[in-house]
Amino acid sequence: MRSVFLISWREIKQRILNRSFLLMLLLGPLLILSLFYFLVQAADEGKQQVNVLIADPGDLLEGIISSRENPTVHYSFISDYVTLTEFKSGKVYQDYDVLMEVNEKVLNNKKVFVFYRDYLSNTIQNSLRFTLERRIEEVIIEEFSDLTVESYRQMKQPLNIDFRNLENPTNSKMGDAGWVGYFFGTLIILFTLFYGMSILRGIAREKSNRVVEVLVSVVSPGQLMLGKIIGVGISALVQLLFWLLVISLGLWALQGVFFSDFFLSESFLGMHFSDGAHEALQTEFTRVRNNEMIHLIYDRVNLGLILPFFFLFFLSSYVFYGAFFSLIGAAMGSERDGQVFILPLVLLLIFTLIAGCFMVMNPDSEFTAICQYIPFTSSMAVMVHLAMGYAVGTGYLIWISLLILLFSTVIMLWLASKVFKRSLLAYGHQINLKSVFRWMTRG
Amino acid sequence: MIEISNVSKSFRRKSALINVSLKIAKGTITGLLGPNGAGKTTLIRMMNIMLDPDEGYLKYDGQLLKKAHLKNIGYLPEERGLYPDMTVNEQLNFFAKLRGLSREEAALNSRYWIDKLEMKEWSHKTIQSLSKGMAQKVQFAVAVVHDPEFLILDEPLTGFDPINVDLIKNLLFEFKEAGKTVLLSTHNMHRVQDMCSHVALLNEGRVVSDTSMHALLEGYKSDRFVVRYRGTGIAFANALWTDFELAKQIDIQEGLVEAHLLKRGDKSVDDLIKNLQGHVQIEAVYREQPQMDQVFMALIEKNIIE
Repeated sequence: MRSVFLISWREIKQRILNRSFLLMLLLGPLLILSLFYFLVQAADEGKQQVNVLIADPGDLLEGIISSRENPTVHYSFISDYVTLTEFKSGKVYQDYDVLMEVNEKVLNNKKVFVFYRDYLSNTIQNSLRFTLERRIEEVIIEEFSDLTVESYRQMKQPLNIDFRNLENPTNSKMGDAGWVGYFFGTLIILFTLFYGMSILRGIAREKSNRVVEVLVSVVSPGQLMLGKIIGVGISALVQLLFWLLVISLGLWALQGVFFSDFFLSESFLGMHFSDGAHEALQTEFTRVRNNEMIHLIYDRVNLGLILPFFFLFFLSSYVFYGAFFSLIGAAMGSERDGQVFILPLVLLLIFTLIAGCFMVMNPDSEFTAICQYIPFTSSMAVMVHLAMGYAVGTGYLIWISLLILLFSTVIMLWLASKVFKRSLLAYGHQINLKSVFRWMTRG
Repeated sequence: MIEISNVSKSFRRKSALINVSLKIAKGTITGLLGPNGAGKTTLIRMMNIMLDPDEGYLKYDGQLLKKAHLKNIGYLPEERGLYPDMTVNEQLNFFAKLRGLSREEAALNSRYWIDKLEMKEWSHKTIQSLSKGMAQKVQFAVAVVHDPEFLILDEPLTGFDPINVDLIKNLLFEFKEAGKTVLLSTHNMHRVQDMCSHVALLNEGRVVSDTSMHALLEGYKSDRFVVRYRGTGIAFANALWTDFELAKQIDIQEGLVEAHLLKRGDKSVDDLIKNLQGHVQIEAVYREQPQMDQVFMALIEKNIIE
């Protein structure tokens, strides 16, 4: 065991002290965060600052709505109707981006039209919607009831009708959550591919510079293989943990600094509420965080459940594929040999990435179900499924997938160690399927 | 120390070793000789438990050879291999610990061998930045850093300059004097004759000869004598009588002649000296030693004929 530890430690040191490793440690998560930031921004495309003209012939809102509530929206009032043609072409209206038509009947029919010249961002749309809704609500309360605004809002609980799949009743918009699972699945596949190749190259290099001859005179080939897989795996885990830490911190920072305007607050509405009213509103606000991406990342995905399984599947998947890569590395006759064998393995990993997209879009398909039990694709399938949510009483399926993967990993390690033992000291040949099969099966 | 009993090994249909039996005695330097493909590397790999025999067994100090014995064995392979990105010091520490030494022992032994092999100046350099000769020294240090009882060296002197050859040779003699055992596999017959007290010769997977250096050379004793004398050539020729035949004479210095003689019948060095006394001034007389490469060739030829 000490030998395995020493070999692992050497692998860890060799990688962690490497300049490119340290560089990727920082660049990787920054790249992902930048990508996330741009995705969020892309999801909120549209005009960000607007001049709104409120056509209010009944003088219902003048003096009630003001630009102080949201500095990005500037409100002006006209106590008359404005036709669309006038607004479109009239010189006096050219400074306005939006025409909001609030007629006298609005208190009864609750109908307001908003006409825009350029597409409005989600933030602006929500700002307009909320401001108008709240102010008209206040007018209604004052005109038609003896209630205070606070007690009215406390009573008014929105009826939330949520459409969900009978087979999977835990999540509403599963598709979006599935992409978060796909992100985790992709992390597993990319790390497995990158570090699997690192194992392969390491073994091939040691074979090529013959240090392997000294090593196997000290430790058994099985120990050498295990030491390499563990050492490279720990390096991968260090990088992954660091990435997740930086990404989490980054998301937290983005939430506070860059996306603060996406999170509705009391100040957004310019009001103060009692505790009860605040709670009621808070529920509603959470529902309507006005950026789908933000809502998805911060609210909808159960990271507490996904993360433990992510690490379990990451480790199992890595060792499973790692055994394949070390098998090929040991069987290679030279450093350049073995491309023929690497290609199918890489294609398999790429296939898993593509299959993941299909799984997100067709979560209930037979293909997705089968992929969960195939060790090559199970990590991706389970991550996607977990993010979307397992139906009540079907959680045991995750454990079945994990058991199949672990069992396959043990078999793969056993086969790889057989090939490792018999082929490690063979040099100069060209790797072929027949030899690999012979090394696997010979007693 | 090491006993190899009836060991056979095949790779697919090719026999690498056929019923090989050898004994390597403790405290000796044994030469393992053989042409390319004779099975030397296969045998060495078996001694390092890198390969298992198909038949037969190997013993270490009377016990069946097992993994636990590896910490007492040092191995210098013919194909040198070190981690190019590790420093000399790291390399020695790493292999010492792999061989079972504690952290402190590994550090101590590494320092000792770095000093002993005069590597202190470049002990913090990576292997890739060293010359071939320097890397060879490190490779040797890796083989001995854990202070093994049994040292297997495959072509240990290749790549060294004459100064370092002497350094390594002296170290091997020190090992021998300390009661340790050395197995030296080499193609350099001159070195074998120089250093080994015992020789095992392999050819086509079989043991052709397994004997002491003395016994081997005795079996191929030369009929030639060399005499260095001062005096006249006529007096020398007369003194030989019919007992010895003069093959050639060389003037090696002013007045000093080296004569190569072929004996006739059952004559010895004593007879030669008796014949020459009083006729010429004898500076040196010796029987010409058989050259190891000639012995090697003769043994191989004999084996092929048989």
